[in-house]
This record gives sequence, structure tokens and C-alpha cells, in this order.
Amino acid sequence: MAIITEEQASLWNKLQVAWVRLHQHWPNAAATLPFVPLVLAWWLTAMLEVFPRAFFPGPGEVILSLKSLIYKGILPEYLLDSITRLIVGASAGVAIAIPVGVLIGMNRHANRGLWPLLLFFQAVGDIAWLPILLVWFGFGLTTMTFVIVYTVLFPVVLNTVLGIRSINPDLLRAAHSLGASRARIIWEVVLPGALPNIMTGLRNGLGYGWRALIAAEIIVGTSGIGFLMFDARRAGSVVEIMLGMIVLGLLWYVVDAWILAPIERATGERWGMVTR
Amino acid sequence: MKSLTLNHLSKTYFDPYKGTQVTALEDISLSIAPGEFVSVVGPSGCGKTTLLNVIAGFLPETSGSIRVDGKPIFGPGPDRGVVFQSFALFPWKTVLENVGFGPKMRGVGRDDRDAIAMDYLQLAGLAHAADRYPAELSGGMQQRVGVVRALANEPDVLLMDEPFASVDAQTRLTLQEELIRIWLDRRTTVLFITHDVPEAVFLANRVVVLSKGRVMNEITVDLPHPRKWDELVENDAFKLLSAQVLHSVRAA
Amino acid sequence: MGSLGGDRVLSARSPQVFLARVRSAVLFLIPLSLLVVIWSFVVNVFEINPRIFPSVASVWQAGVDSVVDGTLVRHIGASLWRIAVGTTIGLAIGIPLGIAMGVIPAIASFFNPLVRFFSVLAGIAWIPIATLWFGYGFGAITFVIFNAVFFVVAYNALLGVSSIPMQVRHAAASLGAGRVAMIFEVLLPGALPNIVTGVRTGMGFAWRGLIAAEMIATDRGLGYMLFTARDFYKTEVIVLGMVVIGLIWLALDRLLLAPLERVTTERWGMVGS
Repeated sequence: MAIITEEQASLWNKLQVAWVRLHQHWPNAAATLPFVPLVLAWWLTAMLEVFPRAFFPGPGEVILSLKSLIYKGILPEYLLDSITRLIVGASAGVAIAIPVGVLIGMNRHANRGLWPLLLFFQAVGDIAWLPILLVWFGFGLTTMTFVIVYTVLFPVVLNTVLGIRSINPDLLRAAHSLGASRARIIWEVVLPGALPNIMTGLRNGLGYGWRALIAAEIIVGTSGIGFLMFDARRAGSVVEIMLGMIVLGLLWYVVDAWILAPIERATGERWGMVTR
Repeated sequence: MKSLTLNHLSKTYFDPYKGTQVTALEDISLSIAPGEFVSVVGPSGCGKTTLLNVIAGFLPETSGSIRVDGKPIFGPGPDRGVVFQSFALFPWKTVLENVGFGPKMRGVGRDDRDAIAMDYLQLAGLAHAADRYPAELSGGMQQRVGVVRALANEPDVLLMDEPFASVDAQTRLTLQEELIRIWLDRRTTVLFITHDVPEAVFLANRVVVLSKGRVMNEITVDLPHPRKWDELVENDAFKLLSAQVLHSVRAA
Repeated sequence: MGSLGGDRVLSARSPQVFLARVRSAVLFLIPLSLLVVIWSFVVNVFEINPRIFPSVASVWQAGVDSVVDGTLVRHIGASLWRIAVGTTIGLAIGIPLGIAMGVIPAIASFFNPLVRFFSVLAGIAWIPIATLWFGYGFGAITFVIFNAVFFVVAYNALLGVSSIPMQVRHAAASLGAGRVAMIFEVLLPGALPNIVTGVRTGMGFAWRGLIAAEMIATDRGLGYMLFTARDFYKTEVIVLGMVVIGLIWLALDRLLLAPLERVTTERWGMVGS
């Protein structure tokens, strides 16, 4: 019951082999493959001027803009600004969030008292804080750092609590009966036990923090990728907005897929624990 | 009850990892009479699951023919019911809704199909679980539902793909005896795939030994019905037949 | 062998369940009420400048005023209307598309990185380009909301369909399910837990995106109310807005979305978090 000819079949087979080999030997290149038709579709849509050029530029123009901004030093500087802010804010956020998470996870009173507050403030969201932050601190680094810290806080706390709750209570009892003090138990049992979930929280938190940073830069910023897009909007230049979005997406995608995800997987797998 | 006939059935496919054509089934010819219970055994990789998938219509055959009651098949269909190793129940439907699914597809109204489903659940001793969800049932119960779901659609042929492999050993024996009880009642034509030799002999009229995609041997089992494990375990004829099949499988 | 899983002795409407719910609601409100008390105390005792932080009374008053003169209702209405429209369109296109992409495993794994890329970018990052394309106002804001919901939901629908075991789909085919039946009886229900998670996450992005967009791109809505109050140092309006925003999302997420997610995940027999 042959539906295709012999030649077509063998060509299709060769393609399949190539596809499999690609995934085996160059998995990163293989991961980029799905984007090729996207870029092609983009290029085609722009070239056919389905939308006016001023509204929908093509990849060529974006690349030219990329070159120009790198040459002028603007892009590297903005990128550095954004990344630095994110690292500073995320570090502060994590430094606060993990202890709070441990407290809530281990102490029932802290849990009862703080959990509703946590949920409420998470519901308020980072963006809603911007106006009052602007009143207090003006348009500056403090405001933006606050927003990032705020956003990173919640996923990390929530996941830390989740991780702690999922620790086998027998482990804690065992540590206790082996004579470990409270502090020791936290350091030697609780934190490692919750680590896979904490890594998940970190990964989520960084994602949210990145988005919050961009939001803050769009609304408030004086530099950074978000500001680049905001400024380009003011000048009416779509090309730079698109460039900004692509840089954003690519940067996040790369960091998440090649740095964060492997770390998250590694902690979960190494301990032989199921993270979700 | 209808017959199932395989005529020079072959299945080859391209394996991109090996880069070559792989022959899963080679020139298989088999005639299963209406109401007959045939077991297919073989070592891992002998192609028995592929055989079932092709007959069920989940995979197209490469050459040869498959006929139910003399008519060719076109893809999956209610004429060939399937019972899966993983139970494959719909987790979002109750047990009753699962069993009533086939009739629902045929356009049977709600009350009628609920009645049909209840009948079959009673047959399997599961009437009390009708409103439960699959996640609430044990493996053995889920598979009973699986069997009854396939039967409720009154298929011409019942295909069973290592259905009891995911169930613990004791429950397996019980399920096998129940399957025989149900089969004696309904006399469906059954094709039963398994790697468990005693199971194959216990259940079937005929055991087909498959190896490397080919039919190696066919052994008739004429032990009387009803069959019970407690008796057969000591029965010489059964032991002899099991040994015969086992040797055949291992020699393959 | 008996059935696994506990007996569901308590029906959802029994008095014990109701009392338990009331109790947990009260426990929930106590820390928040305590916070309000502390807030009132701090502002009064330390005589905090109202231009820096308002007193509880002034926020309450601002609330009453804005309800009476209709502005609060108007802003809330505008925000909710935009969310409703954007979310509906996002779901209407995202769910079918995600399901369609997920049906064939090869296609699903091909599109997976693409859709994931865009779902990460969803929401606020689109504000500049949205305002350029649609100008300021309803179009741009609704687009941002649609965008936030669409990509996340499509991605999750794709994921959901791909996670339905092939044998379950085979089972349906063997039981006589045609194409339409397959979609509505198998694919959609099978992907539902993931879809609901996607809706919840997407709406979270959408809500944030809404507030952000309303701050810079329009003349009404909660975000607008917050941002303009800043110009006049009307901190009581700002805090009022923050509280309203928090309450609305809390209600939406905790009373609707989270329970929905929990129910579907549990019923489907998946281990919920």
C-alpha cells in the first residue's frame, strides 16, 4: 500500500536521519531551527509590505540598527545597565526571600500571620507600586531596584515554602534525634531538601524580575533596554523597538535554557528528587 | 462474532536512528475463527505489539491484508476493540462515562448508554464504582473497566495488548479468570498479546509463537473450560503445554 | 481490593465544609486587619506627612468619595472591560491554535520553542510597539492584554495536548471517535488542566500589563488613576488604587482561577502542587 514513490521515500528518510543526527550532535543548533521559518515569514511579510514599512520593518533593517547601536556603544551600555540592575535586584530579592520562606515554611505562626499578607501583596503587584515609589524616590535606581526585589520575592518565597513542605518529615526527625540544633537542621537538612524547589523559584523569579525590570524601564527608566524601546516609541522608530524586543527575548531565552534550566535540572536530578 | 484473517502481512518502517529499514513483521498469515481466543507470545522485540497496532489500525501495514469477516479494514474502528496495557481510561470521565463512550460515539442516547454501561459494569463486578473517577481506582479495577469499555461497544474482534502486565501478580490471576468468564459468556473473537507464557496457555484455544516478526509455531490448547488456576497449576497437560510454548519461545 | 483514595464523606455543601471555609476566610483577614491597625498607628504616632504616606482615614475617605462621584466605578469598569475583551479574544484564538499545534507530536515539538519564546516576551514588553501600531487608548491596551493571554494559553494548550498519552487517543479512535468527537471528548478535556494553568498565568501577566499600559497609554482605568494621582501628591488615591488592584486580583485569582486549577488538576488525577 505505497503512498509515495521510492525516491520520495528515500529522500524523506535521509531528511529524518539528518534531523536525528542534528539533534544528537548539535542540540543547540537544532533548538534554533524552528525560528528559521519565523524569520523567513517575517522577512516575507515585511518585503511584501503587508503592513506599511513604517509600522513593520524587516529583519534587514533591524540588523542594520543593531550594528549602528553597537557601534555607537548605546546597546552594550544599555544592556549592561539592565543586566546589572537585574542582578543587583534579584540578589537582594533572593537574599530576603529565602529566609522569609524558611520562616514561613517551618513556623506555623509565621505561616498563619504572613501568608495572607504575602498573597495580598503579590496580588497588588510590582507595577502598582510605581506611582508611590516615584513620589518617594523619584525616577532612579532605587525605584527600579525596589520593583525588581518586590517581584523576585514572591516566586522565591512561595517555592521555598513548597520545597520545605515537601521535605519528608522523617528527615527532620532523624536530624533532631541525631542531636542537630535548630540552626543546623535548617542549614543541613531543610535548605538542601528544599533546594530543587528553590531553584525553580529562582528561575521563575528571575523571569518575573526581568519582565518587571523592563516594565520599570519602559515607564520610568533613564537607560536600559526597556528605556531603549520607550525612547524609540517617542521618536516613532519601530525598528529599535523590535530590536529591543528581540534582544530581550533572546537574552532571556538563552539564559533560561542554557544556564537556569540545566542548574534546576541538575539539583533535582542529583539528589534524585522529583521537583514538581 | 467475526473472524480475523491475516494474509501475508508485513510491516517495515524506517528507523532514523539506525538509518535503515526495519522489518517488524514478515509474511504473517493467520486465521482466527469467530469466537476463538488466540494468544500471541514471543520474546521482547518480536513484533507482537506492532502486530496488534497494525490490526487495530493505529499503524498502516506495508503489504498483505487484514480482514475482519472477510472485509478489509481502514484505520481504527469500533469493530476492533482494544484493551491497552496502560488502561488508557479517560481520566476526566467517570467509570460509567468511560464504558459508555463507545455507544456515545455511535449516537446512543444518554439513558440507553448508561444502561448498557451499567450492564457491563455489573458483568465485571464494578457496578458500585460507576460514579468514581479512574484515578480513584486500583490498577486491577481500572483494567476491568478497560476490558468492559471495549466490550460495551460489541466489537467483532477484541485486541488485548499485554493488558495485565501493569497489574500485580495476584490480581493478574484473578483478572485472567474473570476474562475467561466474560469470554465464555460473550464468545468474542480475541487476540491476546503477552510475554507471559503460562498466561498465554491459560487463556487461549491456540497459542501463536512470534519471533523476529515471523510466526514460529502454533500450539493448540484443548484444555476444558472453565479453567481455574488452582486446578491447572497442578494439571499435567497444562504444564506440558506451557513447557512446549516456553521452549518454542526460548528457541526462537 | 478496595478503591484507592479516601471516601469523599463530606459533600461540598455540608455545614462542616461551610464553617471551615468561613474560618479560613476569617483567619485570612486577621493579619491584613492587623496590618491596617499598625498602619494607622504608625501614621498617627509618627505624624507622617500625608504627601509621603496617607492615613487610613484619608484613604477610606478617598474611597467613599470616588465611589459616590462615580470615578472609581468608571475606572474599575474600564479596566475590567479591557481585561474581559482582551482575555476573551486571547482564549478564543489561543486555545484552538494551541490544540491544533499539539495534535501531531512532530509539529508540537517543532513549534514548542517558538511559542515558548513569545510567551516569555508576553505582556508589558509589547506596550511600546502596541502604542505605535494602535495609538493610545483601548486598542493598544487590549492588544497587550490579548498578547499576554494568547501566547501563554497557546503554549499551555500545546503542552497539554502533547501530554495526553497516545494510547488514550488510540483508545478513543478504537471506540469510534471521529474528528470532532476527538477534539471535544479527548483533546480539550485532556489538555484542560494545562489550559487552566495557562489561563491563570496569562491573566496574571495581562493584569500587570493592563495596569502598566494604563499608566502611560490612556485616560481612564486603574493604572491611569494611580499614575495621575502622583502628579498631585494625592497619596491617598494612590494607596486606594493599590488596595483596589490588590483586592480585585486577589478575588479573581483566589476565588476563581486557583480553585479552577486545583479542581481540574485533582480530578484528572494529576498531583497538584
